[in-house]
Amino acid sequence: MRVGLRTRVSAAFAIGALLLSACASMVSYELARSTLIRERERTAVRATYFDAAVVHAGLPQNSSDIGETLRSLDTGADRYVLLHRDGQWYSRGADPSAGSAVPAALQEMTARGDAGAQRIRLDGHAALVVGIPLSSGVFYEVVALSELERTLQLLALVLTSVAVMVAGGGAAVGWYVTRYALRPLTAVADAARKIADGDLKTHLDPDTEPDLATLSVSFNHMADQLARRVERDRRFAADVSHELRSPLQTLSAAVSVLDRRRDGLDPKAAAAIGLISDEVGRFQDLVNDLLELARSDRPAHREPTEMRELVARACHARGLPEDLLELAPATPTVWPVDRRRVEQALGNLLDNAVRYGGGPVTVRLARTDDRYVIEVDDEGPGVAEENRASIFDRFVRGPAANARGDGDGTGLGLSIVARHTAAHGGTVSVADRPGGGARFRMEFP
Amino acid sequence: MRGMSSVLLIEDDDRIRLSLTMALEDEGYTTRAVATAEEGLALQRSKPADTVLVDLMLPGMDGFECIRELRRDDDVPVIVVSARDDTHDIVAGLEAGADDYIVKPVAVKELAARLRALRRRARPAAAALTVVAFGDLEILPDAGEVRLHGDPVAVTRTEFRLLCELAEHPGQLLSRQQLLQRVWGYEIGDERLVDVHVGRLRHKIEDSPGTPRHLVTVRGLGYKLQR
Repeated sequence: MRVGLRTRVSAAFAIGALLLSACASMVSYELARSTLIRERERTAVRATYFDAAVVHAGLPQNSSDIGETLRSLDTGADRYVLLHRDGQWYSRGADPSAGSAVPAALQEMTARGDAGAQRIRLDGHAALVVGIPLSSGVFYEVVALSELERTLQLLALVLTSVAVMVAGGGAAVGWYVTRYALRPLTAVADAARKIADGDLKTHLDPDTEPDLATLSVSFNHMADQLARRVERDRRFAADVSHELRSPLQTLSAAVSVLDRRRDGLDPKAAAAIGLISDEVGRFQDLVNDLLELARSDRPAHREPTEMRELVARACHARGLPEDLLELAPATPTVWPVDRRRVEQALGNLLDNAVRYGGGPVTVRLARTDDRYVIEVDDEGPGVAEENRASIFDRFVRGPAANARGDGDGTGLGLSIVARHTAAHGGTVSVADRPGGGARFRMEFP
Repeated sequence: MRGMSSVLLIEDDDRIRLSLTMALEDEGYTTRAVATAEEGLALQRSKPADTVLVDLMLPGMDGFECIRELRRDDDVPVIVVSARDDTHDIVAGLEAGADDYIVKPVAVKELAARLRALRRRARPAAAALTVVAFGDLEILPDAGEVRLHGDPVAVTRTEFRLLCELAEHPGQLLSRQQLLQRVWGYEIGDERLVDVHVGRLRHKIEDSPGTPRHLVTVRGLGYKLQR
């Protein structure tokens, strides 16, 4: 799966922000740490010198009193003092192993007579050992740095949280910025949707978003071309209409003149006139259906329509009884539909039922699941499973039409039904009617 | 009423003109046919026919202009017979002042039926009402007159029949289908006929046709006339 542009840009912003803030945090941390430690060391060394002076002044010759002298020093909880004298370690207590904390390197250094300090780890905690050689022996002070350690931990925690928050902020900025940057594209998408819905006059204003001017201009060009093409097709349909209708009008009128005089003619001529008359009628239907089909991809022009009246009219026009209508319970009678096209679709279904199904037995109007449903039932042979999809294709006729008799249709009726239903955003289907026959069903939102 | 009614056919296609003339003569109409709107207008002025059939696409003056010219002279019923069946053309033809619109090819029997219906309509309705007043709008069915603020309004015969039909049922809803049956005499007809005629009437009898006070639309159902 491809990751969306917004996600990618946001991620890049987040990573960039994280890198920057992490660097900044690390540098700050290091600076703070070294400064703090240096400060602490300086303090510790100064305190040790002070203590060493005190010890040096009060150092008795008697080694048994050394512990007493050391105890007299005012040391806090976080440091303790040691004295190494004549190869022996002295501390406040009489702990012989007290000197093990002092590293050998420092001992060597002090043995040479230099004062020094070294950082060590004592029981898992950082500590500082400061050693100062006295006239006799060496004075050591071990300073625990755990407080400093805690401070540094807290600082690290704070800096890490800041880095994470900055990264999150970066992602949010990325998300916001891309939304802002992609907003003109939303306008393009909306316009494309409108065009798909049939509003070919939709245009983008190239001035509102100068960065996308090229896109807007191309888009508008495409919309213009499309509109021109649709208009050309429409005009072609109108031209064909006119060109076919005019000769048909002549034929129709001339045939009616002949038809009136049929009785005086010899039987063959009369029969021939009858044939012409029928075929002119069929030709007329075909032209009308073709034009209807050519125009049927236009969007439906919906308006409130009294459906009982519409059904009655469609039935009446075909000499069918009006009591075919069955209104399902809780069905409104005024529907928002393209009146002319629904009436024609229903009419075609009724014609179809007359032609192939022995006449319609029920016209049912219902509203189910927020959809409007029109069903036409007949008691004919029904439609075989394998023909149920193709029956709505152009020029497909049912088996009854193979005889090419008087009732032959144009083969376009059901495809017009399908197109008119589709123009309403709906579907048409055929199923078995319970009790035999076919049930044609149009449904649309 | 004369035994034979007369028809003026304005049609530029020679073959259609010839065949329709023959077929209409068969149906009992005295038919005169011309190829241009100019000839038709001249003929209608010198020898008025009872009904005019006019094509829309004509050389020179077109059908729309021809209808407007005819309307300027009198209220002779006019039927458009055109191969153009776009809603746009139908509405434009009716708005120019035609009483009916028929799409070619039309069966002669159907054309004759429409002509008969129009003739019935053309004669004043034998209404029992003398003056019907809807506020500032007055309808005089017997005199065939409509007055707005006391001034006479020029309406065509179809418009007048439509107004009378609505006036006979004051404040009552009439569906487009009912109006088609009662005014045009059609069992099955194009509802756009009603809509365009209502629109035309509104321009004549309403002070602001966009927001009608008398002739109001009942959404999805039809129209009614009120005070």
